[in-house]
Amino acid sequence: MSTISIRKQQDADLVEIKRTLIRLGKMSENAVVHAVWALKNSDVEAARSVIDGDDALDELTERIDESCMSFNARYQPLGQDLRMIVSTMHMAVDLERIGDYGVNIARAAILLEKKPLIKPLIDIPRMSAILSEMLGKALSAFDVEDVETATTVFTLDDQIDALEKQVVRELFTMVMERVDRLEQAFLLMGVARTLERAGDHATNIAERVIYMYAGKIAKASDYKNPKDKIQEQESRDES
Amino acid sequence: MDKTQTESDRDLPQVRTQGLNLYYGPDRVLWSLNFDIPRGCVAAFIGPSGCGKSSYLRCLNRMNDFIPGARVEGHVLIDGADIYAPGVDVIALRRRVGMVFQKPNPFPMSIYENVAYGPRLFGVKNREALDETVRSSLEGAALWSEVKDKLNTLGTGLSGGQQQRLCIARAIATEPEVLLMDEPTSALDPLSTSRIEELIRDLKSRFTVAIVTHNMQQAARISDYTAFFLLGELVEYGPTSRIFTVPEDKRTEDYITGRFG
Repeated sequence: MSTISIRKQQDADLVEIKRTLIRLGKMSENAVVHAVWALKNSDVEAARSVIDGDDALDELTERIDESCMSFNARYQPLGQDLRMIVSTMHMAVDLERIGDYGVNIARAAILLEKKPLIKPLIDIPRMSAILSEMLGKALSAFDVEDVETATTVFTLDDQIDALEKQVVRELFTMVMERVDRLEQAFLLMGVARTLERAGDHATNIAERVIYMYAGKIAKASDYKNPKDKIQEQESRDES
Repeated sequence: MDKTQTESDRDLPQVRTQGLNLYYGPDRVLWSLNFDIPRGCVAAFIGPSGCGKSSYLRCLNRMNDFIPGARVEGHVLIDGADIYAPGVDVIALRRRVGMVFQKPNPFPMSIYENVAYGPRLFGVKNREALDETVRSSLEGAALWSEVKDKLNTLGTGLSGGQQQRLCIARAIATEPEVLLMDEPTSALDPLSTSRIEELIRDLKSRFTVAIVTHNMQQAARISDYTAFFLLGELVEYGPTSRIFTVPEDKRTEDYITGRFG
């Protein structure tokens, strides 16, 4: 069986698409991390730069879309190439959405400017750090075709979900103590909810990576730690 | 074979291949093939040149009988009956299993005579019945509207795409149960290819189609099942949607993504 070199250009195009998606991933991650930093440090300038950076992120998403369309038209990919192109298009949408969430958080940071925070932000930056780790792992798994690393993203999502519940619970308690905290509490709950959703998108990306390289549909719920599964079952039973 | 089928006949695969080996003299060309083609489906055969896919197709209507030194072991069952059993009428078999080749090969006679040739050979003499067969076959091959006013002109005067549809009309005129197609569009332009592909999709409601193609996108477009052959072995066989998205065998993956061929 002889190996032939007609794949050279095709492989080069795939590598280019891959590099661009990883760049988009880095930009989306930065948008969220910087927005949370701006929120924590009441830095309006930093928040504005996140909002201003969103156009570049959208443009890069469009470029990935065009590259994938052009790849399809040129090569009519099959097998792993097909899985990769279709997955890349989905992943670009997930990453673009995460970038939008960064903008939402940056807007919240601007709204909260100069108002003393009702509590020091601890869990929200922690959620942001976990999200950063999730995206880092998912994209590194994408880069080096490492299905094992992609599966580690799922348990991190459990941690983000748990933190979101904790933030909401804490803020509710604070509002019940003093109702004038309501506006800020709602904004912060929104931020926590946004980060939780961003975690879901990072999970989608990890699922896509597994499909791309292992050819199987992975469900994050299959990788949840057993304790969380029991808790979820219990809360379903209660309701 | 009796055309009236019982329920259980209809549940049988149309073509069942069991432990099929093919030798050309001392060379073994096909290795222990075992798989079924369900009734009313299009099965595509892909693989690099020399992998045995066309040789397999020729086993289905015993065309290999013409090749000196060719020897078949194992069984091919069409509608449950072994076509390699002693006493099988090979001419009658080829009526039931029609074939269309890579290069359109109409006979050097009129369009009408090209299509009427088979039914005439099998004893249809009534002119009205022949007219009806010619019309319905040309309609079935999506050629009728283009040639109905020039049925007595030479078939060889048609365009390449039309000639190939004429060959399909000729093949279906004897009402086969299985239609074999060996790269039927490789000599045609994209428009003619697209018409033939459309036709194959329509034909599968009446015939089981087995098609050899080098064009993977074509296999993906028109077939229900795909078989990947390599060096005379059946590497993988399954629903086309799976073979072209998540093949199980690495060799299939490498072939469909153009990593070798």
